[in-house]
Amino acid sequence: MMDQEHIASAYDRDLDRVQSLIMRMGGMVETAISDAARALEMRDTELADQVRANDKLIDALEEQIASEVARVIAVRSPTAGDLRTVLSVLKISGNLERMGDYAKNLGKRTSVLSEMPAISGSGGALRRMTQLVNVMLKDALDAYIQRDVELAEDVRQRDADVDQMYNALFREFLTHMMEDPRNITACMHLHFIAKNVERMGDHVTSICEQVIYLVDGELPEDDRLKQDRTSYDISVSKV
Amino acid sequence: MSKDIKISAKGVDVFYGDTHAIKNVDIEIENKAVTAFIGPSGCGKSTFLRCINRMNDTIDICRVTGDILLEGQDIYAKSVDPVQLRARVGMVFQKPNPFPKSIYDNVAYGPTIHGLAKSKAELDEIVEQSLRRAAIWDEVKDRLHQPGTGLSGGQQQRLCIGRAIATAPEVLLMDEPCSALDPIATAQVEELIDDLRQNYTVVIVTHSMQQAARVSQKTAFFHLGHVVEYGDTNKIFTNPEDSRTESYITGRIG
Repeated sequence: MMDQEHIASAYDRDLDRVQSLIMRMGGMVETAISDAARALEMRDTELADQVRANDKLIDALEEQIASEVARVIAVRSPTAGDLRTVLSVLKISGNLERMGDYAKNLGKRTSVLSEMPAISGSGGALRRMTQLVNVMLKDALDAYIQRDVELAEDVRQRDADVDQMYNALFREFLTHMMEDPRNITACMHLHFIAKNVERMGDHVTSICEQVIYLVDGELPEDDRLKQDRTSYDISVSKV
Repeated sequence: MSKDIKISAKGVDVFYGDTHAIKNVDIEIENKAVTAFIGPSGCGKSTFLRCINRMNDTIDICRVTGDILLEGQDIYAKSVDPVQLRARVGMVFQKPNPFPKSIYDNVAYGPTIHGLAKSKAELDEIVEQSLRRAAIWDEVKDRLHQPGTGLSGGQQQRLCIGRAIATAPEVLLMDEPCSALDPIATAQVEELIDDLRQNYTVVIVTHSMQQAARVSQKTAFFHLGHVVEYGDTNKIFTNPEDSRTESYITGRIG
């Protein structure tokens, strides 16, 4: 990236501003994810409600970023690295907004799950999976602000671990449901939670791809190894 | 060669007295495409443009070395008559400069001195076609015998473009053709440039980066007499190779 400053210093301030909004939004999403995971594990419905309420702030920030970006495009006609910066800001804010939605959904399901008997063993696995995604998000945002392609690529590869954890949970919930039909409602909710966390990982991956695009000017060509095999899982049809 | 190359420059150097204005420039300009030259003031882009139709011949202290080939023919060869060359390689300048004559005579002048029309009817036809191609016919067809200097700036510039294409050139050189025009007239001239590339090879020097991005297919970035980067306009404006190009187009160096 360009270390050099623009002749028009207000242009630098504009670009710094939209990027600092992204970092703020990223921080809010990190908090939402860890709070939602903690609320689920501790059956803390108050915290879950707070996560749901805070999602409005994340959404508002996305709108603010979109309008700031529109203004920069209209006024500055950004090119080259500057253009890629504003385009990546727009895409990353979209990814963060979706992640916020998934955290909010986790909060909603927590309220329902707290009324039901706990499913043994699922709490720890979901917590580990959510933590993994949150560390990935933190690293992706660091990679973004430091323009660190290597770190972005590393995070991108870590999504395979999230996929594998989701596969394992998928089978575990299936087993619980087959064992006792009374577990079905809770396991369905838990399965959606696991799936949503897995989707969060995909959004982090997309943020990493934006970092690579921002620095190299091209999206990575290679397809990542996809570890979520549940769509093809034969055991589903056996049930 | 996969692309159809109209103009090919090899190892071109230009000196104004002791000043080395253009340094070892190699460039191949595609046929029937718009090529933009961009770069900070004094980078040599206008100087190089003026080499393509030997406008620099008129400056005594100016010396050009290297080869510039128009369809494979060296335009600096002894056998080439610069006046004939300029009929093939027309030029439009920064400031609209119609002759102090009627609109009709402005356009008819070139074809007349080059003997391109055998009759008055043929000359009328050339004038009409040229003004149509310059997208100004409808605005002037009822006032062809009024002075060209009475038109608005944007109309004058399109008249000058009509005058330039009346000699049926193959190449049109434009040196900041819109810098004296308002945004509406600029848009009209840009629209015209886009039309012109169906029939002509256009080379445009512009200080407006956005104009280069809008009208051209190829862009060359000049800096301190060198061509730093030359390539597809889309690539130059989204992901240039050279950090100097990036600095210039993003507004970090003047």
